[in-house]
Amino acid sequence: MTEPAVASDTTVPGVTTVPGVKTVPGVDRTHVRPACECRNLSVDLESAQGTQRILAGVDFEVGEAEFVSVMGRSGSGKTTLLRAVGGLLDPATDSTVTFHGQPVLGPPDGVVFVFQNYAASLLPWRTVEKNVALGLEGKVAKAEMHQRVAEALAMVGLADRAKDYPWRLSGGMQQRVQLARALAMRPRALLMDEPFGALDAMTKGALQDELQRVQERTRATVVFVTHDIDEAVYLSDRIVILEGGPATVAHRIDVNLPRPRDQLATKELPEFLRLRRQVYDAIVHRDD
Amino acid sequence: MVVLVGLWEVVVRSRVVDFQFLPAPSAVARGTGRLLTSGELVANLLHTLQVTLLGWAIAALLGIGLGLLLGLSETAWRYSMASIEVMRAIPPVSLVPVALLVFGFSIRMELTIIVFVSAWPVLVNAIHGVRGLQSELLDVTRTLRFSRPATIRKVILPAALPSIVVGLRLAMSLSLVLAVVAEMIGNPSGLGSALIRAQQALRPEEMFAYVLTIGMLGVALNTAFRFLSLRALPSLAGDPGNAG
Repeated sequence: MTEPAVASDTTVPGVTTVPGVKTVPGVDRTHVRPACECRNLSVDLESAQGTQRILAGVDFEVGEAEFVSVMGRSGSGKTTLLRAVGGLLDPATDSTVTFHGQPVLGPPDGVVFVFQNYAASLLPWRTVEKNVALGLEGKVAKAEMHQRVAEALAMVGLADRAKDYPWRLSGGMQQRVQLARALAMRPRALLMDEPFGALDAMTKGALQDELQRVQERTRATVVFVTHDIDEAVYLSDRIVILEGGPATVAHRIDVNLPRPRDQLATKELPEFLRLRRQVYDAIVHRDD
Repeated sequence: MVVLVGLWEVVVRSRVVDFQFLPAPSAVARGTGRLLTSGELVANLLHTLQVTLLGWAIAALLGIGLGLLLGLSETAWRYSMASIEVMRAIPPVSLVPVALLVFGFSIRMELTIIVFVSAWPVLVNAIHGVRGLQSELLDVTRTLRFSRPATIRKVILPAALPSIVVGLRLAMSLSLVLAVVAEMIGNPSGLGSALIRAQQALRPEEMFAYVLTIGMLGVALNTAFRFLSLRALPSLAGDPGNAG
């Protein structure tokens, strides 16, 4: 992979890109290159009480094809971090946010969000397939668009609902449509903001496994915001916990559970239970 | 309905209530027949219908155009919001004498009043439709890297459409009301003016014939509008907030 010329004047400490060296994704795990990286990230947001600093000096990085969950109590700036990574908001001046070495000044090419509120994120006047095609229209040829839409819908198991309107589908299916819309863009990174937070337990489990399979296939980097400890441990390679107001990264927890993971077998592993407790303690501070 | 009309007929004929100028339904029917055969009713109806539709169409264009502009441009919105609130608050009927003085007894005076009054609901609904867009949808357009024109065309306008359609429907009924009022006071043609003339000629059965015609015209316009808007935008039917 060759980075465009812009990268030269925006070298970030800690990022080592070796020109000319080709890494095969998923094989050479010792030199995982960072996909998303934040250095000294601070974010101020306007609120009713005036300007408020939400994040202060956050260092955060996600390797290529890595699955990282961001956790923390409510109001700890998880969503804010995700939005900064995805270029949906402007960080404070001395912060650095990069995506594959390029500074993030707006939503970067190859990064797609999946939002929690699926109903509000789909266009009710468009059919499922037209919703999925939304990001491709006018950017790729018609034939390729149709092929990519069909592929994305097949990947989330909705090929037979292509002509339906989204409001005819169940919540789980609507969230699948949103996932398909992101996948049709062939993203290098998926930023997911509590995507399964509004779904019932069974649907949630099914979608977690689907996401797992999709990531396996596409090798996309995933940054995943969630409240659900089991979900974070089940899906992630690493869990990052935010804390404080303004928030910083308080804990980084590696999750070394074998893949592919299984809703029953993985969750019965002693290591799963140990991690679950570790994350819980880190968030809740039972020893305080 | 049938029972009411029957009761009315009985009460008037039996002189239980005795108003000098309250005709029985049968008399109204005869009056209607007379007006129909003489062609007067149809001519007046066509005039009012034409003015209503023309005024409504101009109001729709103005309202949608300005509404989108004000909805999309923060600056335009900030500078015109106060004036809009004041002008909207003027009771429509109070403008009739003003327009009469400026434009005289003419179709232009009728149209001006209709347009001035019916453009408001369209304008206000267009503004709200655009500004009320859920922020999630804007996030979606940003993460899919839409250009501003693509955002407006593919998301903002379609999302504002149901609200605009509601505005257009309100404007339709207002247009008819204003056309009739303008004809009663100003322009000497159409159903409103015919109604006044029937009153002055002491022909209550003709008055009722015109009142009924105006009512039926209102129902017909509303029905036609709903039919056509659902035809054009089938997704409106599925949107629970905009059904009916």
